[in-house]
Amino acid sequence: MTTYETSLISNRTLGWRMGLRNMLAKENFAWWRTRRWWIQILVAVLILNGSLALNLRDPQRTSVDLEAINFLNTSALFVPILIVILTQDSILSERHSGTTAWVLSKPLQRPAFILSKLIAYGLGFLMTWVLIPNIIFYIQLVAAGRVGLSIPGFIGLIGLSFLNLLFYMTLALMLATLFNNRAPGLGISLLIAWIGPMQIFARPMEKYVPWLENILPWKLISSFGEPPLAGYLALGADLPTVVPIIATVLWCVLFVGVAIWRISREEF
Amino acid sequence: MNVQTPLVIETHELSKTFNNVQALKPLDLKVSQNTICGFLGPNGAGKTTTIKLLLGLARPTGGSALVFGKDIEKENDLIRRKVGYLSQDPRYYDYMTARQTLRFTAGFFYEGPKVEIENRIAETLELVGLSDKADRPIKGFSGGERQRLGIAQAQVNYPDLLILDEPAASLDPIGRKDVLEVMEKLRKHTTIFYSTHILDDVQRVSDTVVILNKGVLVAQGPIEELLAGGQGTTFTLTVKGDSAAVENRLQSQPWVTGIVTISKNGKVSWQIRVSDPDLAEAQLVPLALAGGGVTVCEFGRKAQNLEEVFINIVEENNHDNL
Repeated sequence: MTTYETSLISNRTLGWRMGLRNMLAKENFAWWRTRRWWIQILVAVLILNGSLALNLRDPQRTSVDLEAINFLNTSALFVPILIVILTQDSILSERHSGTTAWVLSKPLQRPAFILSKLIAYGLGFLMTWVLIPNIIFYIQLVAAGRVGLSIPGFIGLIGLSFLNLLFYMTLALMLATLFNNRAPGLGISLLIAWIGPMQIFARPMEKYVPWLENILPWKLISSFGEPPLAGYLALGADLPTVVPIIATVLWCVLFVGVAIWRISREEF
Repeated sequence: MNVQTPLVIETHELSKTFNNVQALKPLDLKVSQNTICGFLGPNGAGKTTTIKLLLGLARPTGGSALVFGKDIEKENDLIRRKVGYLSQDPRYYDYMTARQTLRFTAGFFYEGPKVEIENRIAETLELVGLSDKADRPIKGFSGGERQRLGIAQAQVNYPDLLILDEPAASLDPIGRKDVLEVMEKLRKHTTIFYSTHILDDVQRVSDTVVILNKGVLVAQGPIEELLAGGQGTTFTLTVKGDSAAVENRLQSQPWVTGIVTISKNGKVSWQIRVSDPDLAEAQLVPLALAGGGVTVCEFGRKAQNLEEVFINIVEENNHDNL
């Protein structure tokens, strides 16, 4: 076979990692070398820290734990919507435009395609929707003279906020590989995100399916009749249960597994 | 076809069914190394489906195929390392420039050295005439520029096989000419397998042709053989004088399979399709002159073009399937 003489070093990675590094570099480029990152930070800070700033203006409100719970509740309400929309779009817009077929015609493994989205979007969301708003949240509390969060507790709060975000991100990733349009994924994700914290559903669920709150991420950052688990951590208290944390991690693993299985069977 | 030449693509009864509709009926296709193979067929013939099967973007429902001797289902990773592909409607990431797109594409194939990769990108941009637009975002590119970028990304890895799905479809005549020139330049290094509707282009650059119709392979072979003939050779004979008697004599010959008559400016011209070209070449003029009263103005073998061959083959196949 006629081949070109070249001093280029071929990429020899095989197996599930084939193309991962290159794809990840491209996803990171899209996050950090376009205006995406600062738009995300701006929206996150406006929604999450903006609502806290409004609360802090009220001199009657002096409780640190109340502010922490309100901040977490605002996160529980808004973060899933945006995470689901953005994550779904990362898969569906590429599938619809044809860029997925294009990159998969190159030496790229399908699991690597999903993992590159997971890693890049996970890091992007961690930075823009968790770390920066939470650090600003801490600074806002200190500035308002309401210090009370221990540093390890605060890190635990950040960890559970991120785990909650990861649940919706991996769920959206999976649903985007299962459905060809945005509506089912958005509907299912928001149903899960909002049904738990809403009192109208919370009471019947407590009566008929009391175990449900323990196997879904609701308790991580939403006040579900009692303070969220992140609230316990933030205030340095012992966690009443770790079952929701373990269950959420397992859900995330399951969702990623299904997404990889589904995309491996997809035809373009 | 020269059976000694190694085959780059070889399919055995390869088929594909979508929702109970057979998009590709069992296909036996052979593409030899270092040829330019034009893959022809009307819309919906199964060309893009075949290409997607070869690239592992779709799974066959029957049969098998080898590319570089590797199975398209089990060893597709190895195949994609040696292939460049341009899709029918190429789409890229709009926030990237042409250079960034090629850098991203090259990243799938090469680890370094960085300088060499950048040199290769510059060389590829030069080849497709995009050097001056290399650092502009793709968002503002015209259809022709996107197509050139498509060819650039398809061959940035020095592929041993270049698969192009309608590479010149959206281009103006100058753009088409440029694409054909690029294909000509790549010919000595690469096997090119491309689908197209533009038959003039196929006739100009291809060595071999594959014709697909309604998911069925209806013709395959070197372009000269196809033009010369399975459909019979046609001669043109123009006379002045008593043409009716000549036409009767021609009609009565067993090797004449069809005659089309055109009268113009006192002359009569026949396009005579024959089953035995050598006999026809020797006897047509004597037959015309045999009764006297006519003068032969013009005689010769009619050069078939690919468009006629293609239409004949497809129409015959459609007729057979009725």
